[in-house]
Amino acid sequence: MIGAGIDAGSRALKVLLFDAERSQVLACGLADQSVEQERLAAELLAKLLEDSGLNRSQVSAVVATGYGRNAIRFADTTITEITCHARGVYSLAPDARTIIEIGGQDSKVISLEDGGTVRDFAMNDRCAAGTGRFLEMVASRLDVSWEKLAELARQSQRPALISNMCVVFAETEILGLLAEGKPLPDVVAGVQNAIATRVSALAGRLVAPPVYFTGGVALQAGMARALAEVFSQEVRVAPQPQFTGALGAALCAINGATWLNSGPAPGAHSGLS
Amino acid sequence: MSGALAKLSLGEWDDRYAQLKRNGFREPDYGGPLGRHLARERDFRLQSLRFDSSPAALRLWNFLLTENQRLRQARAKGDKIVGTMKDLGTVPVMAYSLPGVRAFYPDGAWWTPCLMEGSDRLLQQAESMGIDASFCPVRAMLPAFQNGEHFPRPDLLICSSGAVCDDFSAIAQRLEHFGHAILWWEMPRRRPPGLGEISCALPGKLAAPKIQVDCVRTELQRLAEALGGLVGQTLDDDRLAEGIHAANRVRRVLGSLRRTVYFAPAAPLPALEMLVTEMLAIHFCSDREETLAVSEELLAEAQARVAKRQFVTTSSTVRIYWVNPVADLRAMNLLEDLGGRLCGSDYMFTHALDLIPEDVPPLDALARTALADPMVGPTSERAARIVRDCRAGRAEALVISRIPGASHCAREGEIIRETVRQELGIPTVEIEVASVCDALLPTLGTRLQALVETARARRKV
Repeated sequence: MIGAGIDAGSRALKVLLFDAERSQVLACGLADQSVEQERLAAELLAKLLEDSGLNRSQVSAVVATGYGRNAIRFADTTITEITCHARGVYSLAPDARTIIEIGGQDSKVISLEDGGTVRDFAMNDRCAAGTGRFLEMVASRLDVSWEKLAELARQSQRPALISNMCVVFAETEILGLLAEGKPLPDVVAGVQNAIATRVSALAGRLVAPPVYFTGGVALQAGMARALAEVFSQEVRVAPQPQFTGALGAALCAINGATWLNSGPAPGAHSGLS
Repeated sequence: MSGALAKLSLGEWDDRYAQLKRNGFREPDYGGPLGRHLARERDFRLQSLRFDSSPAALRLWNFLLTENQRLRQARAKGDKIVGTMKDLGTVPVMAYSLPGVRAFYPDGAWWTPCLMEGSDRLLQQAESMGIDASFCPVRAMLPAFQNGEHFPRPDLLICSSGAVCDDFSAIAQRLEHFGHAILWWEMPRRRPPGLGEISCALPGKLAAPKIQVDCVRTELQRLAEALGGLVGQTLDDDRLAEGIHAANRVRRVLGSLRRTVYFAPAAPLPALEMLVTEMLAIHFCSDREETLAVSEELLAEAQARVAKRQFVTTSSTVRIYWVNPVADLRAMNLLEDLGGRLCGSDYMFTHALDLIPEDVPPLDALARTALADPMVGPTSERAARIVRDCRAGRAEALVISRIPGASHCAREGEIIRETVRQELGIPTVEIEVASVCDALLPTLGTRLQALVETARARRKV
C-alpha cells in the first residue's frame, strides 16, 4: 500500500510517497510554492510517481496538509500540519516528546504523549517574528543566500541583541547595528536568537525532553543551537526536517486517517480554500 | 456532516421563509425574511453565516436584528430607555422591574462592525475619537452613541466601574467626555472572605465577605433611586422581587436550553444560535417578555429534536467547551464545519445565567449576583468553574477566544488553559477573533481543526 502526503507550506510545497509494506519512503520532492499550488502539487506528485515507476492507481490515498492544504482538491482528505508533523517526527524519532516546527510563515510547539499522540500545541501564525520569514528578510536585506546566512551565524563570537519583536522594526535595528560596526556574523546569530526567544515564549510549559526541531528552518545551521540555548536543553534536528509534515500526511493516508479528519472535503469550505 | 440537519444560507432561509408563509406561518410583528436585514440595515455578514433552519431560530435572529427598531418604537410609545453598560446582567433586572422602562446594552454595538462588515466605519470613527485598536472592539459603541444610527440616545445611562474591564471604563469615560452623562456605580474586586469576616454565598458556588455585598447593595440602592426617579415611581422591594422572579424565569429557560443542547449526544442547535441566545441573558435584547418567548420556543425546538434524534452535528463530533464570545460570529460556524460542537460555554457573563437568590432581600440578592461576575473576581475562580462545567459537559477540548485588545486580565487565557490542562488533561487552544476574521480564517481554521484532530486522536488512545 502506498500513501502520498502533500505538505502545502507557505514557502515550499513538499510531496512524499511512502510504501507501507516495505515501511520506507519511495520518493520525495519539493518545489517553491506558487499561486497555482494544486497544479504544482499534481505535477510534483506525477513526477515522483513516474520516477518511481508507479502510476496513480497504486496510491491508496492522498492526504494534504500545511497552510494551503484546502487548495489541494484532488487530495482525499486534509489534516493539519500539527497532526502530520507529530506523526512524521514520531515515526522517525519515537522518543520525541516535544516538537518545534518553524516554517516559512508560522511556528509551532507540539507536545506529545508517550505513544506519539498530540497532547497539546501552541502556534504562532500572526507575526513574522519567530518564523522563517524573519531569516528570509535578513538574507534579502543583507543580500546573502540562505546558506551563507547559516555560515555567517557559525562565525559569530558574540551574538548581537535584537530587541525589537517586530520584524519590520527589527530590520531597521539590524541596519543600525551594522552601521555601528557590529560584525555581520554577530547580527545574523542575533537574529537566530531572537527567533528562538520568540518560539520559547510561545512554548510556555509545553517543553518536555527530548525536543526535536523540524520544518524548513531546521535546515538553517545555528538555529538548533539558538533554540537549545533558550530552552536550556538539547534540541535535536529531525531527519529530513523539511519533509516530516509530508511524511506524516503519507502515514495518515496509509493508516486511513479519515477518523482524524474533521473538516470538509478539500476545497469544499469556501472560507478555507 | 451526513445525517445532520443542514444549516441554511441567507438565500436558502429566504426561500424557506416564503414557503413557510405560503403554509400559513405566523410570527411576531418584528418577524420577516432574514434577507431584509441585509437590504435595510446593511448587515452584510449575514451572507457569510449559516443558520439553523427552525422557525425558532428565525425568530431569534429577527428579535436580535430588530433591537434598534424595537427600541425606537418603545420610545415613541412613551417608554424610557436606559443604557446599562458593563455589568452584564444585573442592572437590567432592576430596570425591567419598573413599568415603562426598557434597558438595553450599548456594549452590544461591538458586534456591529462584524454584522456590517466594517461598512459602519465605527471602529475607524472610534479611533478618531481617541480610542484606537489597542482597545477592545466594544469601542464601536463610542461613535454609535454619537451618530445615533444603531440605538436611540438613552434617557439614562448607567455604567459600572472599578473591578470591571479597564478598556470599557476608559471608553465610557471618553463617552462622558463627549457629553453623555453617566451614572457610575462602583464594583469592588471580589475576594474570598478573610478570617473573622462574615461570608456571603454568591451564585456560582462563590463567596464574598459581607462587607463587599453591603457595598454593592448600597450602590444598587442609589441606582434604584435613579431608575425610580426616571419614571416618577419607587423601585421598592416588591417591584424588585417581581423583577427578579421574572428574570429568573428567563434564566431557568436558558439554563434548560443549555443543558438540553450541551448535554445531548449531538448538538440539537448550532453553536452560533446558542451564542446569540445566551447573550439575551444580559439585557433581554430590550424586551424581557419576548426574550422569554424566544427562548422557550428554542428550548421546545431543541427538546423536540433530541426526542426525534435530529441534530445539527453528528455524534462523533468533538465536544468543545468555549470561553469568551467571538467578535466575528462566523467563528462559531467554523467550529462546526471543522467537526466540533459546543458542550458548554463561558461567555464572561455566567452570573447572568445563574439564578438570582429569591430567599434574601432583593437588593442583597442583586448585589450577590453582581459580585459573582467572572470578570470582577480572580481568574482562578473563573477557571475552577470552567473545569466544573467541562466535566459536566464531558468536554474533550477547550477553546479560549481572546478578544482583541481586551484587558480583563492579561494572563487570563494562560491561567485558564493551565488549570484545565492540569485538572482535565484535555487539549486547549487560544485563538483571537477579529470583528471580521476572513483574512485569518485559514489560520483560525488550522487551530480549530488541529484541536479537533487532537481530541479525536486521544479517543483512540
